[in-house]
Amino acid sequence: MNRQFLKYLIYGVAAATFTLTSCGEDDPIDPVDPVDASRWVTVAGALMGDNPGDGNGGTMIYAVSYEDAINSETTINLYDDGVPVKSNRTARLQVSEDGNTMFNIAYSGENGGEFSRFGVQGAASYVEEDVTVSIAQYAGTSPRWGKLYDGDQTGIAVNIANITANNAESSEDLFEYYRGTATVLALDLKNVLISGYKQYEIPLSVEEEKAGNTIFRLDAPVLNKAGDKLLIGTWMRKYNPETGETESDYERLGTKTVIVDYPSLENPKVITSTVANGDCSGYRSNVNFLTEDGSIYQVTQRDTNGSHILKITASNEYDNSYVFSLDAALGVDDVYVQTWRYVSNGKGYIVYRHGESDQSYIALVDLTSRTAELVDEIPNDADLSLHQYQGFLVSGDNLLVAVTPIGKDGNIYVLNSQTGEVTKGAKLINKPGNHYIGVF
Amino acid sequence: MIRFLIFLTLGLHSTLICFSQTGKISGTLTFEDGSPVAFATVFIPSIKKHTLSSEKGWYEIANISYGNHRMEIASVEIENSSYPIKVNSSAVDGYLVLKRAEASVLNEIVVEGLTEKKEIETKGFAVNVIDPKTAAVQSIQTNDLLNRTAGVRVRQNGGLGSSVDYNLNGMSGNSVRIFIDGLPVSTYGASFSLNSIPPSLIERIEVYKGVIPAHLADDALGGAINVVLKKSLNNNLTVSASYGSFNTFQTNFSGMYRMDQSGFTVKMSGFYNTSNNDYEVWGKFVRNILPNGRYDYVRAKRFNDAYNSVGGQLAVGFTNVKWADQFLVSYNGSDDYNEIQHGTYMSIPYKGRFTESQAHVTGLTYRKSDLFTPGMEVMFNGMFSNRSQVVSDTVKWNYNWYGEQSLGLNGNPILRPQGAQQGAPTINHIDRNIATFRSGINYAISDHHKVIFSHVFYDIGRTQQDEMRSAVEREFIGTRDLQKNISSLAYELETLNSRLKANLFGKYYQQKIDRMDPILVEENEESVRGEDRAASKRHTSGYGAALSFSALRHLLVLASAEQAVRMPSENEIFGSPGDNIVENLGINPEVSNNVNLGFQAGAYTIEDHKFSISGTGFVRDTRDKIVQRINPRINDAVQTNPYENLGKTKSIGFETEVNYTYKKLLNVMFNLSKFNSVYNTKYDPNGNVYSNYNQQLPNEPFFTINSGLQYTFNDFVAKNSILNLSYNFGFVGPFYTTWLQIEDFRTPRQYIHDLGVSYTFPDKKVVVSADVRNVFDKQVYDNFAVQKPGRAFYLKLNYRINNF
Repeated sequence: MNRQFLKYLIYGVAAATFTLTSCGEDDPIDPVDPVDASRWVTVAGALMGDNPGDGNGGTMIYAVSYEDAINSETTINLYDDGVPVKSNRTARLQVSEDGNTMFNIAYSGENGGEFSRFGVQGAASYVEEDVTVSIAQYAGTSPRWGKLYDGDQTGIAVNIANITANNAESSEDLFEYYRGTATVLALDLKNVLISGYKQYEIPLSVEEEKAGNTIFRLDAPVLNKAGDKLLIGTWMRKYNPETGETESDYERLGTKTVIVDYPSLENPKVITSTVANGDCSGYRSNVNFLTEDGSIYQVTQRDTNGSHILKITASNEYDNSYVFSLDAALGVDDVYVQTWRYVSNGKGYIVYRHGESDQSYIALVDLTSRTAELVDEIPNDADLSLHQYQGFLVSGDNLLVAVTPIGKDGNIYVLNSQTGEVTKGAKLINKPGNHYIGVF
Repeated sequence: MIRFLIFLTLGLHSTLICFSQTGKISGTLTFEDGSPVAFATVFIPSIKKHTLSSEKGWYEIANISYGNHRMEIASVEIENSSYPIKVNSSAVDGYLVLKRAEASVLNEIVVEGLTEKKEIETKGFAVNVIDPKTAAVQSIQTNDLLNRTAGVRVRQNGGLGSSVDYNLNGMSGNSVRIFIDGLPVSTYGASFSLNSIPPSLIERIEVYKGVIPAHLADDALGGAINVVLKKSLNNNLTVSASYGSFNTFQTNFSGMYRMDQSGFTVKMSGFYNTSNNDYEVWGKFVRNILPNGRYDYVRAKRFNDAYNSVGGQLAVGFTNVKWADQFLVSYNGSDDYNEIQHGTYMSIPYKGRFTESQAHVTGLTYRKSDLFTPGMEVMFNGMFSNRSQVVSDTVKWNYNWYGEQSLGLNGNPILRPQGAQQGAPTINHIDRNIATFRSGINYAISDHHKVIFSHVFYDIGRTQQDEMRSAVEREFIGTRDLQKNISSLAYELETLNSRLKANLFGKYYQQKIDRMDPILVEENEESVRGEDRAASKRHTSGYGAALSFSALRHLLVLASAEQAVRMPSENEIFGSPGDNIVENLGINPEVSNNVNLGFQAGAYTIEDHKFSISGTGFVRDTRDKIVQRINPRINDAVQTNPYENLGKTKSIGFETEVNYTYKKLLNVMFNLSKFNSVYNTKYDPNGNVYSNYNQQLPNEPFFTINSGLQYTFNDFVAKNSILNLSYNFGFVGPFYTTWLQIEDFRTPRQYIHDLGVSYTFPDKKVVVSADVRNVFDKQVYDNFAVQKPGRAFYLKLNYRINNF
């Protein structure tokens, strides 16, 4: 932390108050303070491409004050009044802690992999800062990235390339493993440049690899409490070594997380859970969160026994005594958590679907008691599909979430994680085929 | 100006003998190859008698007093010429063989082409017939010619040889089918395509929009481009060579020899094209990425874009003999090598990615008119083709626009994010064996009624092997075998003194696809390779009509309509496990209701001015468009979204063309095309109207203008020489490339200027030409963020011998 603070000073970026609140303290993971009522809140929505809900038509954003965002009298008409984000398909947006700056990495297209920064000035006024940086050479034009909770200093982008048998150019040898080359890259968000990257192969156990298992994707990086390790979620895949084909029905390995040293990004190591077998890479948003007690909680997807919340201790190992099955907690089958957000004091909210239905629901989860409770006040609508959802805003104990069924109007909801109280915020006007994907 | 030197092989040297007081002269006027000189005026001024030669060249003038006279022969094709005759018998044999003037044959074919062109263009279809003859002496690509045509937009991903997409009236991709001599271009593959065939080997290009006549049988939803290779039957040899910017060298030859007596015919042609395509690119898409990710905007030369292609065709057989108008056995071989500089956008340059294609095509062509009974014409065209292609991409580092390795922060080169330049490393060999048979019978019941039947059988089998995959993986690659049978029947009617022409047609499409995917099966407790086979059979029909009506003299009204279909492709039916697309055996063909309504007015002649105008309005109403639906469970381990018939689009627009000529010296052409291609699905599942409904689809160049100006100086410097100056102008209106209407994702408004000059030497054998393309060195784009060549100079030498 000290080192970062120094670096921060050296670069001499203004915003001294910011420095004090975010980096001057020993522990940046303290509960988030309630945000200033005049803070800008950006609402984002995805336009349809060819089909309703595909979000492939691009992303639009619009800013209101926090006060207005939580006020049910406010009406936000994003698709008429907002401004498009320069990205061919759904943008991968992040926001600064003060809400004044939006970060984006364009996803695919001519500018895919291009990082840009916008000053938020209210309504449709976003001023693009005249600095762009591209991580395309390292991480491709459709990169996966996340912002660390380190006071808006660092973004981490990750990639796995070229998974081949034995990772060899000629492959007449006996099969040993499928492995790709991993890239872990650090982006300096203040100075808008790439500050470091490392590339390596990440082996699994000999036995696991012999069977054709491999890390297919990395995503959802999170910094541990000590700030010396970066934890990265994995998406696993299994090939059939006898045919080279991807297998769809196979015995999954325990959930795996890659741990690398920080800030050097070196020494990749894999830890494995014995509790669950899903992936922990998330989709459009992070699914790994650090809590006040120094543990990291992650949610699993594609789990054969339904999604679980797993616990990684401050010593960077899975706590296999911690078993939190969401099927059991919610009393339904095949829970699939699409995204979630930790709020405070062991409480958070999950967005999930279950069974054969594609409808999304929201539930309040208690990490301590391992219970989950459906938030009834969220409209029970078959067209509610939050699978592309990517932006939650945490304000003290409250979580702001934008809820719109595809093609239907909705609201920002303010969910109090401690009391369970639900209040309606601003009304969100929708357009056919579109949906809101975040509040930042 | 058309000139002919007439040689009287008989008339000048033999005597016309006379036996009575008056005599008659009669005979046939023919060219040396035996084709008749039709509708020539034969005039004897001393007795004020004249006649016209018949369609077959026959003429007769009687009651000519004995003695010496002059006889003048004139036609639109030839310069008035006269020579002495001596009438001293009752019947003088006036069989005259008129020798064509050398070199002028180039121009003469223009006349023939025009009639063919006119005939096709007045049948009622929305069709452009492109005559490449005048362009053939210039350094102009076949794709450039197409691009200058109304309603056609050619979108090329860079310089010579780079991949091309054709847009006809707002429909593109696999809605547009390309034919060579009526056979699907896939018979020949990339190496013998519109990219490599030079205009001088082409007789004409027919561009059918929306409605496609029965004889071009394929499931073309939006239009067809048919390239008709040279058919001329006079002995000739043409050679040309062009050199220009970016080390572009192009040469080709074509020759034809026919023995008069036996009809034995040999036709040969060949081409060789090569270019470094190392033109400069610059602007916001051209940047080197520094180790820290910042951009360094540069002006750089393309370094991995070389192209070369070589090909040839040899046909041997008999023409214009008793048993066949045409019987030819042919071989067509071609090869190309194409480096690929970048993917969809030029923002990331590639190094070392290339494709290589080869095709060997052997074929047989037979054509005979008046077989068995007058008015019955049969034709058969069969081809066996062996095509192979290699896509190679193995370089694993990032490169910058200077062609150097991009270095990372630690000074080491950076690996490409997916292992090679475009994706995973690959050396993929794709081999195809294709059989195409096309047969047709035309029967003219009378002058007014004609029935046309044609059938096409097409079979393509494909195998592929990727050297970069392991031996086991390679063993587990599936095969696909596609068969198409397309039968069509048309009825042509000509009535009201040929003022009304109608063409009604129906098409019946059958398609069969066999799929074989290797699988593992348990046998004696051991996993062995087995084969999982499935077949998909489907059939559908389409129909349409074309009408033309001559409302007034010089005013023709044209209307055509077709319910066109496109059969689903193998990927759309069987899915692609690699791309997580599952099969959908129940998928239906795409259907489009296409309508054209147009007119042709002119040519109106006022003294030395000639003027014509034409216009067409069109609708393309496409339903059951095959699209891939989004899967909200995209997160699943297996993504299971098949292709489905969900989309609807509509394109409405018009095009117009104006031509003006002055004394055959000045020629001005202007065309304009504008359309609105819109998303046509109206309601979402909740019954609300989509905001994209009726909105312009992104990435469609919907507004284009082309203009050409040509001026001819006769007898420039030397007598009988021709100097030709030409200027071409192209305009493409800006369009958005995504649904988001962001300026950054909009293409610029473009103005492209080209200049050309050609000089035909007096002996008409040699033509020298020079071209300047993109005169003002503008940034030109067909595709978003893909710059095309800047200013370029070319010099070309053409040499032609006739009647050797």
